[in-house]
Amino acid sequence: MKTFVCIKYVPDTSEAEVKVNPDGKTVDDSRFSFDINDADNYAVEESVLIKEDKGGEVDVLSIGPKQSEVMIRMAMAKGCDKATRVEDDRIADHDPLIVAKVLAGAIKDQEFDLVLTGCWADDDGHMATGVALAEYLGVNHASMVKKVEVLDGKVRAHRELEGGLMEVLELELPAVLTIQTGINEPRYAPIKGIRQAQKKELNVVNLDDLSIDPAEVSADASQVVLENLYIPEVESAAEFIEGETDEKAEKLASILVKGGLV
Amino acid sequence: MTTESQTFTEKYDLLGCIQCGRCTGGCPVTVRADLNVRQFVNDAYDEEKLDELARLAEIWDCTACHTCAVRCPKGLKPLEVLIGLRSMIVESGKVEPTVRDALQSVLLEGNPWEKPRAARQDWMEGLDVRIAEPGEHVENLFFVCCTNCYDPRVQVTAKNMVKILNKAGVDYAFLPEDESCCGSEVFTIGEEGLFEMTVEDNTEFLNEFNADRIVTLSPHCFTTYRTHFPDLKHPVIHYTQLVDELIQEGKLAWKGELPKKIVYHDPCYLGKQGGIFDEPRRILKSIPGVELLEFDRKRERSLCCEGGGGKMWVESESRQERLAETRIKNAKELEADIVAAACPFCILTLEDAMKGLGYEEEMRVAEIMELLGEFVEA
Repeated sequence: MKTFVCIKYVPDTSEAEVKVNPDGKTVDDSRFSFDINDADNYAVEESVLIKEDKGGEVDVLSIGPKQSEVMIRMAMAKGCDKATRVEDDRIADHDPLIVAKVLAGAIKDQEFDLVLTGCWADDDGHMATGVALAEYLGVNHASMVKKVEVLDGKVRAHRELEGGLMEVLELELPAVLTIQTGINEPRYAPIKGIRQAQKKELNVVNLDDLSIDPAEVSADASQVVLENLYIPEVESAAEFIEGETDEKAEKLASILVKGGLV
Repeated sequence: MTTESQTFTEKYDLLGCIQCGRCTGGCPVTVRADLNVRQFVNDAYDEEKLDELARLAEIWDCTACHTCAVRCPKGLKPLEVLIGLRSMIVESGKVEPTVRDALQSVLLEGNPWEKPRAARQDWMEGLDVRIAEPGEHVENLFFVCCTNCYDPRVQVTAKNMVKILNKAGVDYAFLPEDESCCGSEVFTIGEEGLFEMTVEDNTEFLNEFNADRIVTLSPHCFTTYRTHFPDLKHPVIHYTQLVDELIQEGKLAWKGELPKKIVYHDPCYLGKQGGIFDEPRRILKSIPGVELLEFDRKRERSLCCEGGGGKMWVESESRQERLAETRIKNAKELEADIVAAACPFCILTLEDAMKGLGYEEEMRVAEIMELLGEFVEA
């Protein structure tokens, strides 16, 4: 099995206040901590579990700054074999289709069976990159995968649907799977493992190295224009309905009717 | 685990054990878990059994209180056999998610609480705090501790310390934002590589400062720096030693009285590991109006609160009464109004236990520095 796992270095916005910069288009990230995107962490673990079960190789692929190498080394400490980090300011990385195009450009000339990536990114939350990547590579895909079974020349993917339904698909390999959190329990990357992973191959490349035309992945090529970022204002307070159950139900129904909601 | 030249038996001096049972006889955890440290010391001699031993859940019940080490007539540290077994699990990466996240947070953010480094000094907001500059001489260089920095319940320890230092005219400075975890819990969880890195990085960082001594606010940092940092050039003391000095020198002025019965809980990392028993008691007795009570299990025999040894991130499988609950019940029997301690972990575990038992109306758990903030002119 040859697997690529695509990961992203994202800010953790849960512990620091999010502030929009005066340009209205970027966020002040000076107080954030950065780490691997949560769903991508599960994708790394799944790729390593598949390798441990079926043998083969796992390559890490990421678009990100030098600082993200700690995340890549941690993935290699867990069992991934080598890595490619793409760094190029010309990439319009706010657009998931552009990101997918770059990732596809890094993968397309190589043999592979599977590409795993998280089903969404904690920062922009588009949920589009993995599916677009499959399209660019011209291979099958399944999204929101909660269980993977590798079969002979195929993969059985259990997809989490709305309302708790699970859909089970069999896909011919090669295929792209976007991994849902909770599919496994990601392991810890011990420091001794991270140190050993320093010896593993990590290639840093730009668009020229990947033979990607910058004009195709620049802001001009993007169909997504970031107009403005803002923190939504709290528009109204919550209303607590008091009284006996019947009374509360009546008041609630009345509010819904008055508001034209039913 | 072990180096090529050193076996597990050699590393922990297992052949030195005479199986006298002093370790298990004093282990506070045995009343609520199946942990039998004497058996582990015995069985770990068989290297082929190590993997099997490392998989036993009870190795995570040890709170690293060091009672076994204090009682061992051969000067061994039986608890470190359990830490050695934990390190085998840590190296496999298959630890509890809570442990994984805490360790990773130490590596990436310098604290085990998954908080951003940039927020480490947020507790200083609104306070006039002196920050140390490398090379500039200062008498007392303060190391705050991750828990005191980030946990809103115990930030009061650091805040009150600053107010008292400013009022008493002490020559002091706090470390800048680059201050990182001392590694106490990293060591006891068994992440040997991360702990080695912590010792190297913190030694280099702290040695850049020109201080007469480092003052820690947590007993865990206090004992860890004194025990595991051989190349640290500064002596290390706990804040209760400094405050005791200030009281002896008449530098603190009291305001009002605290006519309450206080029982002092000896934190394991301050008392039985650090040998600091009298200073906290003298401080409490100095507060006008205080009547100081004593637990039956005090000083070297103090009952562990179960906050150390990585236990803030590992839940015991035992459903027996928590030791912190036992401690609070003992305080109730003594009719204590306040249970005082000088350790962030003890405060958090004891207060949880007090609330769980429903004693909030009649009892209070307080950091000594919390009481000082209320009764010292600042």
